[in-house]
Amino acid sequence: MNYRVLIKYWRTILVVAEMTIRQQLVDGFVIFTVLFQPIIIALLGLWMLKGKGPEAAMFVVVGSGLTGLWSSLLFISGNSINIERWIGTLESLVAIPTPFEVVVFGKNLANVLQSLMSMILGYLVAVLFFGYSLHIQQPLLFGVSVLLTIFGFICFGLVIAPIFVMSPGVQAWQNGFEFPVYVLSGFMFPIALLPGWTTPVSYLLPPYWAAMALHGTSTGGASLEQTLFYWGMIVVFSIIDLVVASILFKRLLYKARSDATLGME
Amino acid sequence: MKKIVLNLRLFWQGASLAYVALFHWLQPATYAASKIIMPLAQMFFFVYLGTFATGAGNASFYIIGNALQITAVSGIYGVTMSIGGERNAGTLAYLFGTPANRMVIFLGRAFMNILDGALGVVIAFIWGVILLGLDLSHTNLGGLALIILVTTISTCGLGLLMGSLSLVTVNVMFVNNFVYFLLLIFSGANVPLDQMPSWMRAISNILPLTHGIVAGRMLVGGSSLSSVAPLLWSELGIGIVYGLLGYLLFTLFEVEAKRRGTLETF
Repeated sequence: MNYRVLIKYWRTILVVAEMTIRQQLVDGFVIFTVLFQPIIIALLGLWMLKGKGPEAAMFVVVGSGLTGLWSSLLFISGNSINIERWIGTLESLVAIPTPFEVVVFGKNLANVLQSLMSMILGYLVAVLFFGYSLHIQQPLLFGVSVLLTIFGFICFGLVIAPIFVMSPGVQAWQNGFEFPVYVLSGFMFPIALLPGWTTPVSYLLPPYWAAMALHGTSTGGASLEQTLFYWGMIVVFSIIDLVVASILFKRLLYKARSDATLGME
Repeated sequence: MKKIVLNLRLFWQGASLAYVALFHWLQPATYAASKIIMPLAQMFFFVYLGTFATGAGNASFYIIGNALQITAVSGIYGVTMSIGGERNAGTLAYLFGTPANRMVIFLGRAFMNILDGALGVVIAFIWGVILLGLDLSHTNLGGLALIILVTTISTCGLGLLMGSLSLVTVNVMFVNNFVYFLLLIFSGANVPLDQMPSWMRAISNILPLTHGIVAGRMLVGGSSLSSVAPLLWSELGIGIVYGLLGYLLFTLFEVEAKRRGTLETF
């Protein structure tokens, strides 16, 4: 998938995103994953880091939001193709002239956007229940970091979804991917606390660079050069994800059509 | 005597078949991801968060709390799905159509999950020792095993209650997830009980896990089993109360569902 496809089908992407959000607003699993779980994690984090001041509170607010983003990406975006298969709409989606990955892009956009709600709710918890007065230290840079994070997570979701469809063996590990990424990406605490051998693994995770950019700009802990580097890494991983996703979608659709297994598990 | 043997047979068959049925859709990878990796990663997450907040010296506080909390994976999700699954699988009508002892059927659903949950906690403690440096050199290991067993039984008691509620609830997983994550706050696994407001402590004291976690921490700290015995009795008592409440609802729902003809209505 290339950027020209995204520009050409921007209207489709927005319509798919709107429909996805409308459908998911009444889904208990989505509501829990996107809203309640991050709020509970934020509550726990804020409580545990109570003595560490507003900077730590901001770290928790951003970090709990990232947990919501990742869980949403893993469980909801990860199943964005499978769910069409389960409800019997996959064949129709594949048959329409709009590229299938554009539809999945729109669904991922919806998931990531609604997951950002968890960051806002975490902020409200910190302010209302813990009495913090929190300010984003570098608002402009933070805003750009949020936009790049949205794009980076959508692209990562485009890789995960076809993998889960083509490799049920990998999807079987889905539940096991949630908390390790929270830990290795430094969502709620610096990865410096972890054993040194885990650091290269963190560097290979796109959510890690998003976390670095968001934490660095929200707390003011990162210099402009560092922030630019984090943004660069998000962009590099997004491009890699798009290239890989493009290959995966082609293989997925070819295999499903040639084996006549589109609607089959 | 014959009745006892029949009930024992029913208990064992119900326990083992319900467990097999619960996991019939699971591959070993799914089991490992859901029952081993996810709980352990969750433990590591909260242990590192706790040590980030309060220093590496407090690691054992979080390791013990979160290792014991792992029992809720089997206690809440496993037991609930073992009971609620009857409705989803369409077997509830047959179950309620049998003359079998309801208490035996009901408790049988929790039995294998107790063993499975206790095993999960043992694995967590082993990882706690190997990877996180938990010191068990002053611990009465037999006593710790008893605490693990009692805490697991108690948590399964809450699971039995949740399981009964799942017979009349549409969105079972939402409720389960909510209870599971609330236990992370209220059980004292991550926040010391004396730092909680009194209303939260009052709730904590009537929940499973809370007393077991306190007992576990005391025992690992070098206390004797006799000194933590009152906590264990409280933990067990709380679990039995939840279990009985669950059984009461189970029988009530059976009567109501038969009366209204809504046995498998969602």
